[in-house]
Amino acid sequence: MDTTTPLLNLINVSKRFGGIHALKGIDFEVRPGEVHALVGENGAGKSTMMKILAGVITDYEGEMRWRGRPVRLKGPRHALDLGIAMIHQELSVMPELTVAENIFLGRQPLKGGVVDWPRMFREAEASLAELGFEHVNVRDTLDRYPLGVHQLVEIARAITSGAQLIIMDEPTSALSPMETHRLLELTRNLVEGGDKSVVYISHFLEEVTWVADRITVLRDGEKITTLKAKNADKQELVRLMLGKETEFFEESYIGAREVEDTHELREPVLTVRGLSKPRAFEDVSFELHAGEILGLYGLIGSGHFELGEALYGLLKPTSGEMVLSGKPLRGNPRRAIDRGVAYVPPSRRSGLFLEKPIYQNISLPWLAHISGFVPSVAKEVKVADEVIHRVGVRPPDPLKEVVFLSGGNQQKVAIARWLVELPKVFVVSEPTRGMDVGAKEEVMHILKEMSAAGVGVLLISSEPETILAAAERILVMAKGRIVEEFVDQQVTKEMLLAAAAGEMVEQPA
Amino acid sequence: MAQKSAETTKPPSKLRAFLAKSREYAPVWTLLVLFLFFSVYSDSFLTLENMGNILNQVSLLAIMGTGITFVLLTAQIDLSVSYMATFTGVVAAYYTAAHMAQPWPILVALLAAAFLGVINGVGTAWLGIPSFMVTLAMSLIASGLSLWLTHGRIIFDLPPLANILGSGRIFGIKWLVIVAALTLLAGHLILRYTRFGRYVYMTGANPKAAELAGVNTKGIVTAVMVIAAVTAGLAGVVGIGRLGSATPTAFDGMLIDAIGAVVLGGTSLFGGIGGIPQTVIGLLILGVLRNGLDQISVDIYMKTLITGIILLVALVFNIVFAGKKEG
Repeated sequence: MDTTTPLLNLINVSKRFGGIHALKGIDFEVRPGEVHALVGENGAGKSTMMKILAGVITDYEGEMRWRGRPVRLKGPRHALDLGIAMIHQELSVMPELTVAENIFLGRQPLKGGVVDWPRMFREAEASLAELGFEHVNVRDTLDRYPLGVHQLVEIARAITSGAQLIIMDEPTSALSPMETHRLLELTRNLVEGGDKSVVYISHFLEEVTWVADRITVLRDGEKITTLKAKNADKQELVRLMLGKETEFFEESYIGAREVEDTHELREPVLTVRGLSKPRAFEDVSFELHAGEILGLYGLIGSGHFELGEALYGLLKPTSGEMVLSGKPLRGNPRRAIDRGVAYVPPSRRSGLFLEKPIYQNISLPWLAHISGFVPSVAKEVKVADEVIHRVGVRPPDPLKEVVFLSGGNQQKVAIARWLVELPKVFVVSEPTRGMDVGAKEEVMHILKEMSAAGVGVLLISSEPETILAAAERILVMAKGRIVEEFVDQQVTKEMLLAAAAGEMVEQPA
Repeated sequence: MAQKSAETTKPPSKLRAFLAKSREYAPVWTLLVLFLFFSVYSDSFLTLENMGNILNQVSLLAIMGTGITFVLLTAQIDLSVSYMATFTGVVAAYYTAAHMAQPWPILVALLAAAFLGVINGVGTAWLGIPSFMVTLAMSLIASGLSLWLTHGRIIFDLPPLANILGSGRIFGIKWLVIVAALTLLAGHLILRYTRFGRYVYMTGANPKAAELAGVNTKGIVTAVMVIAAVTAGLAGVVGIGRLGSATPTAFDGMLIDAIGAVVLGGTSLFGGIGGIPQTVIGLLILGVLRNGLDQISVDIYMKTLITGIILLVALVFNIVFAGKKEG
């Protein structure tokens, strides 16, 4: 393999959407046998660039070269034929099919017009073995395996289809630390041979600096720089990505935070004792105090989201008790709201009416309070207008449909609803998932203001950065139990991950 | 080259915006086109008398369609409405024939319909059976009850009120049309201006989000199933007055038209979008089409085919463009 000719080049590539420059004069190069990471805030142009590489966007300005020769991709199929495969953030696997079928999706080996199963199983096994995953039975349906294996299957599919360049878009966002670790090692192994290359997109700078050979930083559609990963300093990267500095970013990206022990000075507003729900959580006890932000960290599947649902009456615990301001808390969301419990679900879409105007999204829980049997739109709009200005929804137009807002602004609407009447307890799950750093900071700021106003905030997340950015006290859940509490000490991302993963290692495999 | 390609990106978005708009107004255009078409090609279509006929012809559908609009707005469906109408008419006639004091037969009949609606609602909302299955079963039950009560015979003893509402006039206007108009109006006021109406829309737009906002979505779904049953029952009671008798299959055939009219008007099958104004347009499209085809003396055997094709085209509009909304 000629290592002097880059596998892929972009030369002065620009892309406009309407009046907006999504990419401005990008020069980008992937060498054979390298992992080239792409970092930047949401909206920096990463996804536009990936779509150009993968043939999804074909009408750009500038030139793409594949192995030194100019190409103009006609579509994703063309990209695949050349050897460019993209592994999407949202996986395109079929959990009901076998592992082997997923690997050979759409191109199963045939014999006399029917699928040649023995051959397919054999080749699937071989390709997984090559990736170092012999323990996966290719005859099992994929849904029997964790998400890490789903990701693996996508990679195996890309490789068996002959891909030379594999684009990975946030491949670890849903993975546990162990799975992440394996994926990173696998990514390194992939490029070892020197003929395959990976473009690796991630928010997690630690992964990026570990796995990549080179890092390209994008900001506002422009390439800021390409640097060697070895020399990269995380704080420096953050600064390059943002073009500015704030304490928050360092806290959230560098992943360390001083947790203070101020909670004992405050009144407990919510007491949970011995709460259990089979296959969700077991024997959970904790206190939430007025005016504190209590972080509840856990890996996906550790039961922390379900605990949040139980507090809001969406799940009925089988035993244990929840006491809010001295009285037992039970029932449905309506009763929870009336008692002063507010809730934002981990998936933004499930909590919002995208096709409906902002004001209707905000007023729904309060219709009976805002006006009588006949809602007054004027009053609703007024109430909504006030709270969306407070949280800084852009554009602050209560009549606009939520679907037209960016993800961060949608989340602000979801939170703003609970500012109409301030709750006692605010259970907020994954409030900043998939948001850019600026929007994250704004959301965290709102949570801090709410806690300053006396609300007990339970911040539930699987992203250590989110927890570390705001929580004053941190609980860690694993396998449905609270396994660790961090109070009054320096907490790092590594400590959280270790606590969350520790329990898992002890489990028999 | 680059400029050219930049321009080529624009038309699709404009086209999409245009299609989105036309989806909203397609029913109105359809109605206008049909109306103009029949006015030009038939001498007898555009007369005051014939306009009255059209209103008369769609009145029963309108009463039934009001309830169906509620159901579709919550993203559910009710396939039992026409059988409910038959059943309610039969019950009202049955107790009249049994000399129950008026107006009790009508009230008993509407209560019976409401009860069947509760079963539909509980089955859908609390037991989680898809509404089309529950209501399909209910259509057999309602139909079976009608047959059982009548033993297949026709009942000619009708409540006097049913006779008046079904075939009487006041100031030259048929009571039937007035009942239909009032039912539509009541439905519209409830959907547009009450808290309950908002809950109906929000439940249909996103049931999970509605639940998270404290809306009793199961209660809402049950309520709309009851409303659909009661409006169907009302159509049955008025309908027997119009027919002059209660038969065990009197209104069974109205199901497709009733649901079709609501969907034709533009109320989304996926919930949350639409309303009574849309239903009115849909009813008029169906009424004009049916009536107009008679006026221009199309082969009577083609009438159903043409109506079916128009319904299909409307559904394509509804589903193809409504489906785009999430993408």
